[in-house]
Amino acid sequence: MLECAELYFNVDHGYLEGLVRGCKASLLTQQDYINLAQCETLEDLKIHLQTTDYGNFLANQTNPLTVSKIDTEMRKRLCREFDYFRNNSLEPLSTFFTYMTCSYMIDNVILLMNGALQKKSVKEILVKCHPLGRFTEMEAVNIAETPSDLFNAILVETPLAPFFQDCMSENTLDELNIELLRNKLYKSYLEAFYKFCKNHGDVTAEVMCPILEFEADRRAFIITFNSFGTELSKEDRETLYPTIGKLYPEGLRLLAQAEDFDQMKRVADHYGVYKPLFEAVGGSGGKTLEDVFYEHEVQINVLAFNRQFHYGVFYAYVKLKEQEMRNIVWIAECISQRHRTKINSYIPIL
Amino acid sequence: MGSLFRSETMCLAQLFLQSGTAYECLSALGEKGLVQFRDLNQNISSFQRKFVGEVKRCEELERILVYLVQEINRADIPLPEGETSPPAPPLKQVLEMQEQLQKLEVELREVTKNKEKLRKNLLELIEYTHMLRVTKTFVKRNVEFEPTYEEFPPLENDSLLDYSCMQRLGAKLGFVSGLIHQGKVEAFEKMLWRVCKGYTIVTYAELDESLEDPETGEVIKWYVFLISFWGEQIGHKVKKICDCYHCHVYPYPHTAEEREEIQEGLNTRIQDLYTVLHKTEDYLRQVLCKAAESVYTRVIQVKKMKAIYHMLNMCSIDVTNKCLIAEVWCPEADLHELRRALEEGSRESGATIPSFMNVIPTKETPPTLIRTNKFTEGFQNIVDAYGVGSYREVNPALFTIITFPFLFAVMFGDFGHGFVMFLFALLLVLNEDHPRLNQSQEIMRMFFNGRYILLLMGLFSVYTGLIYNDCFSKSVNLFGSGWNVSAMFSSSHSPTEHKKMVLWNDSTVRHSRVLQLDPSVPGVFRGPYPLGIDPIWNLATNRLTFLNSFKMKMSVILGIIHMTFGVILGIFNHLHFRKKFNIYLVSIPELLFMLCIFGYLIFMIVYKWLVFSAETSRVAPSILIEFINMFLFPATETNGLYTGQEHVQRVLLAVTALSVPVLFLGKPLFLLWLHNGRSCFGVSRSGYTLVRKDSEEEVSLLGSQDIEEGHNQMEDGCREMTCEEFNFGEILMTQVIHSIEYCLGCISNTASYLRLWALSLAHAQLSDVLWAMLMRVGLRVDTAFGVLLLLPVIALFAVLTIFILLIMEGLSAFLHAIRLHWVEFQNKFYVGAGTKFVPFSFRLLSSKFNTNDSVE
Repeated sequence: MLECAELYFNVDHGYLEGLVRGCKASLLTQQDYINLAQCETLEDLKIHLQTTDYGNFLANQTNPLTVSKIDTEMRKRLCREFDYFRNNSLEPLSTFFTYMTCSYMIDNVILLMNGALQKKSVKEILVKCHPLGRFTEMEAVNIAETPSDLFNAILVETPLAPFFQDCMSENTLDELNIELLRNKLYKSYLEAFYKFCKNHGDVTAEVMCPILEFEADRRAFIITFNSFGTELSKEDRETLYPTIGKLYPEGLRLLAQAEDFDQMKRVADHYGVYKPLFEAVGGSGGKTLEDVFYEHEVQINVLAFNRQFHYGVFYAYVKLKEQEMRNIVWIAECISQRHRTKINSYIPIL
Repeated sequence: MGSLFRSETMCLAQLFLQSGTAYECLSALGEKGLVQFRDLNQNISSFQRKFVGEVKRCEELERILVYLVQEINRADIPLPEGETSPPAPPLKQVLEMQEQLQKLEVELREVTKNKEKLRKNLLELIEYTHMLRVTKTFVKRNVEFEPTYEEFPPLENDSLLDYSCMQRLGAKLGFVSGLIHQGKVEAFEKMLWRVCKGYTIVTYAELDESLEDPETGEVIKWYVFLISFWGEQIGHKVKKICDCYHCHVYPYPHTAEEREEIQEGLNTRIQDLYTVLHKTEDYLRQVLCKAAESVYTRVIQVKKMKAIYHMLNMCSIDVTNKCLIAEVWCPEADLHELRRALEEGSRESGATIPSFMNVIPTKETPPTLIRTNKFTEGFQNIVDAYGVGSYREVNPALFTIITFPFLFAVMFGDFGHGFVMFLFALLLVLNEDHPRLNQSQEIMRMFFNGRYILLLMGLFSVYTGLIYNDCFSKSVNLFGSGWNVSAMFSSSHSPTEHKKMVLWNDSTVRHSRVLQLDPSVPGVFRGPYPLGIDPIWNLATNRLTFLNSFKMKMSVILGIIHMTFGVILGIFNHLHFRKKFNIYLVSIPELLFMLCIFGYLIFMIVYKWLVFSAETSRVAPSILIEFINMFLFPATETNGLYTGQEHVQRVLLAVTALSVPVLFLGKPLFLLWLHNGRSCFGVSRSGYTLVRKDSEEEVSLLGSQDIEEGHNQMEDGCREMTCEEFNFGEILMTQVIHSIEYCLGCISNTASYLRLWALSLAHAQLSDVLWAMLMRVGLRVDTAFGVLLLLPVIALFAVLTIFILLIMEGLSAFLHAIRLHWVEFQNKFYVGAGTKFVPFSFRLLSSKFNTNDSVE
């Protein structure tokens, strides 16, 4: 790629970038959150959301309003926006969009397989699937019994196919194996996405690489944290870590040896970025590790909007919107369960 | 005229609405559209206000109505739109209405649900019959392939193979058949092959008719497929894949008899379903038709009701909770109307205590209301687009009505083009009640709203066209030219005259390409043409030089008159706001500055026109040189325009030079002097509040523009708080900036008015070129075939005239006229810092079914 993306970026992607920046401006503000947190019922929440850019997206919902209805409608809205972006995009931005949907596709596949394991009907689970990660072959996932079956029969023609190279095995899919499969898929997905951004070069690489590095490191930490007290061996654990983050290689090796949270924290202390995050855990407000990571994610995503002529804004926008949806759902849950003390622990989008 | 010259006086009124009657009162107010409500609950978020429940109810009603309208539209039932708008529903009826609507909605939903179910059923049955029909041919084809299966037996020699073969054949041979979307066939087949590792046989054929999808209602092409397989395991997988691709799977009959049976059963069921479906549809139609009658009224009523509750949400609540207090802006002229509306509202609700109002004094700047009619509206819009006038400020729209079309016409001066534009505008004006024009969109709407502007622009263009004597770039010889060519010939003069003048004879006429008429020869110029430019100029080669000189001077004269008028309007503003010192310290120096330089320029132009005739034109001095010399004081004497010119110019220059420092320093110093004087006064009389109503300067010093005589009683109370901090530096800076802008502006703005000349020149030249390039070519052809050519040429000429000369040139002249008004004229006096008065009026609610945004 040439150095000066500024010169021709707008030819292909200027419209969409303008659009996404406009969309970003419609994210809820601090004042909106304060108002939302004051709501007494979900009806109030609906009225307030009407004054924001969400508009009357709940207008056609019959009473009573539930949190899940709000959630579904918000997801639909995001999905509509995303589809619009995707339909209007040109290469290589469309590949970028495909990469973005892959993570949702992985989640959906895993969700469906878990459902099949628990003998739930496909329809029931389909409702829970993220609309961004929908694809036609998805519903046939439960035919497969082994990962290689899954690959050969069903996913070979989907964008997920390249991520399967590491996890072709004949093991039957039990709960642990599914979880392993998810992490392996995710690892290869992140690495591929990272490679794509790196190869693209320019501002896109400069913006996207840190975001993906953080994503990789977060996964490494979360995998470690979740594997405490399970039968997952340390060697296996190490194979699940994505190898693109700041932790690679030394940090990951140390992390593989960690046995409890304190040891994990000690590993993080070596890194300037993660040290303050781990220090914030459990501090004021009883934040969990997840919350802290979300906050940091929001921060770096907001930073993506400071640069121009790159694809990172799309990624950042979707992530920020997701966070906003999580916040609204959180507030709505707190309202509907009359659990107001925790209503303010949403993650503000700066 | 009074109402258009200044915005109306406003007062702030407090309405005490008894809680029982508030709704009716507001309904009465909304019908009349008299007042603008102020939001008294600004810091309360929307869902914490008092009438939020009622608003929610209105929204619920709206939702139902939107659903109704949607269904009615889907059934293609015409929606009657009422002529009159029904009043907001009385509160008693609201519950009834809500109940009715809810009942209707439940009923409708049920019926449509049933209908959908029936439809779906029917579609499925139809699909099934199609499938049966098509698969029959598959089986027939399979029979043809039978020989290949019969080749199996020879292999049965191997017993092991035989056993497994038997096993396989013994396992149930299964069939799955159904329909699949056209687009998914390929992927479906691939996956089947991959999953079942080729142990299935798929046959499919395209269905010749497109069928409706029972789920989405889309009409698409379908494929019928038949999968045959052995074994349970594979069967499960196949079924799952079918589910995945949303195939419509129907049971496959194994024998021909079974097939016949099913087919017959299906046919009768389809017949039954058809009749039931028809009945249901009829019923649904009846229900919808009944609903359609009242739906328009309902939609309007609910809109009004919602608007009323939104307004009520802006009121604050009395401590006793008995009444609502609203604060409204109301034009003083409408106060009695307001009282009457309140009485009406109270009477209607039958309340014992009437709602009443009370005018309260205020220091806040009221909104600006200028009443317009359909004629003045367009002009007011031009002014408002620049900025809504400050309260009680001189409104330039009044003058714009004449100056705007006039300046436009100066640039667009063409008799023919103007007449076409006039006709077009006249057409719009005469048909203004036509519903299609009223509802027109986008560009047409723009023309329609500006129809009166266009009308005047057309008329004025006709006038200037006559003055320029231009009609599609040709001159019209109405009165006979004032020039006589034959007088130039030597034969028509006595020999004594020959000596002085250069006359023509046969040889000069024959040998020179260009001849010049000399107006000083008697008989050649027989006095000016009665109206506008003499048509003979159309033939002259030096036409442009002549017209340029004329048009340039004309633009400068028009421009300076226009600007001077603006400055004079400023004096009216100062008089009205009682800032008399502004007249002496700002307006008069400004006027002097302008008139002493540019006024004198006009004087010179006119003087030269009047004094110098054809005989003396050779000795006439150049105005440009004279004007420049006015500032340069040249050492050598020029002969000048008139005697004593030098002294007059010196005096004028001195006046100009003197007015500049006054302009720069006068107002700030005066204000400083006043401020110091005042504070001294205050110290000497400490103890009681200073009240000096007689001093006009003081009143004006308060800096508020809205003090009226009537409010004097309350002024005392308010004075202390509005004594703004006196900041000399700031005032000085503002004044200096303003003065610099004005002085430089005088020069640049005058130059800016030259666009009048430039655009009219461009317009004339463009139409000239169009004529020369097209019509002249068309007219030159001989008579035999000329008609054939002339027709398309005229058509092309007409199209180009309309698009380039009328629309494009008209647009550019329009924009330049707007600019001249906004920048050159209005910046002399117009502040335009007001807010528009937006009354609470039901008329502003749209009376259309805006189904588009609700469906989205």
